[in-house]
Amino acid sequence: MSGTTMIEINNLHKSFGSLEVLKGIDLTLEKGKVLAIIGPSGSGKTTLLRCFNLLEVPDQGMMKIGEMSLQFQQGNGIRTADTLALRKRTGMVFQSFNLFPHMTAIQNIMEAQVTVQGKSKAAARSRAAELLGKVGLGDKADAYPHQLSGGQQQRIAIARAMALDPDVLLFDEPTSALDPELVGDVLKVIRQLAAEGMTMVIVTHEMRFAENVADHIVMMDGGVIVESGPPEQVIGNPRSPRAIQFLNRVTNYDVT
Amino acid sequence: MSERQIDILLDSLLPLLKAGVAFTIPLTLVSFALGMIVAVLTALARLSSIWPLRLVAGFYVWVIRGTPLLLQLFIIFYGLTYVGIILSSFTAATIGFTLSVGAYGSEIVRGSIQSIQKGQWEAAASLGMTRGQALRRIIIPQAARVSVPPLGNSFISLLKDTSLAGSIMYLEMFRVSQQIVATTYEPLLVYSAAGVIYLLFCTVLTWLQSILEKRLARYSAS
Ligand SMILES: Nc1ncnc2c1ncn2[C@@H]1O[C@H](COP(=O)(O)OP(=O)(O)O)[C@@H](O)[C@H]1O
Ligand SMILES: [Mg+2]
Repeated sequence: MSGTTMIEINNLHKSFGSLEVLKGIDLTLEKGKVLAIIGPSGSGKTTLLRCFNLLEVPDQGMMKIGEMSLQFQQGNGIRTADTLALRKRTGMVFQSFNLFPHMTAIQNIMEAQVTVQGKSKAAARSRAAELLGKVGLGDKADAYPHQLSGGQQQRIAIARAMALDPDVLLFDEPTSALDPELVGDVLKVIRQLAAEGMTMVIVTHEMRFAENVADHIVMMDGGVIVESGPPEQVIGNPRSPRAIQFLNRVTNYDVT
Repeated sequence: MSERQIDILLDSLLPLLKAGVAFTIPLTLVSFALGMIVAVLTALARLSSIWPLRLVAGFYVWVIRGTPLLLQLFIIFYGLTYVGIILSSFTAATIGFTLSVGAYGSEIVRGSIQSIQKGQWEAAASLGMTRGQALRRIIIPQAARVSVPPLGNSFISLLKDTSLAGSIMYLEMFRVSQQIVATTYEPLLVYSAAGVIYLLFCTVLTWLQSILEKRLARYSAS
């Protein structure tokens, strides 16, 4: 418990119209740690993750990411400059990859370095090439997304998210759109990032992966956190009835 | 065909071609280029979060689409002289066609921008891009590809519509063919010759359009 705090949120609320999706979430994550968010569909996992980079703006609560601290109040918007600054510190990997189809793999990874960071093309290219190597796709630099498999596209997307050297990487079910045989390659890259000390928040339904890679797991249900702790506790020895029920449904583990 | 008719045909081909190359094509190119700028700006205004922009752009599109092009040309060329604005027929025609291309084109551009998946905006935003950067680097290039086929059709329509400029004294190909008919009394022959030249121009344009479509489709499956 000696590390510095990277993410801290307090009493975070978010509604879509009259539907309250996040009902007061509290969380902390230390630098270099991996947090997995699990829970049934519709429980608010994606919404919570999207709050971390303000793709959704919370209605109420406090959020601190790195040095940056934001207070949310209904009706008070967040300044554009703050939003952009926060997004430069966080990278996001989407369920459906969302690569830019009109750009090659390497151009996808170069884009924000040039447009957002103002780096030279040469510098951006060399960083992009390095990241491509890291995700095991050094030979696909000039391929367009449609020429790549889902697993390869998702690894390019991870490289793209890392190109701005973010403090935190956010993953929304990064393998759920993939054919089963392609899942392993993507998880391997995420494991490697974890081993290198990247701070990550991963929404996933891969229980075994969450158990192996995460330092901390939270389980959500109905917009609240119903279980929180180290994997051996949350998955191995859950206490809340809803957690037990969910885990029974999605895993082969006998948790009763 | 009589010898006289062959002579008339040969004598009219050169003036017709000249009118096409020196009047019809420049008017088409200039109006289309300016019209595209108006179309993109109008589309962005209609998608803007600023309501007065949306209102003005919507009004403009409504007026242009709801009135005949020939009438618009007459208002610009003849009508405006009554408030002291005297325009050359080329200027008047360019304004008229630019406004027309801008209005119809803006609907095409707007539809293309809206057809780009939300995930593209979100990916751009998640990388810290501003809305403008996302539009310029991510959305517009993809929307451009979607809009090439319909804009190509507008371009070809425009080339033919420039014949309307003959009625505001612009010496484009159709007006020149009318003048030739007036002296030769060979309407079938001369108008057919003009038709063949229009057809030739449109064929070249269609061919260029398909090359452009292939180039832009490079990155997409199918
Ligand atoms: N943009 C939105 N507008 C309205 N409702 C939404 C929106 N996004 C999510 N929701 C609703 O919020 C709830 C939680 O969604 P989500 O965060 O995607 O859950 P999860 O990722 O856990 O499946 C769902 O009921 C969903 O329909
Ligand atoms: Mg989700």
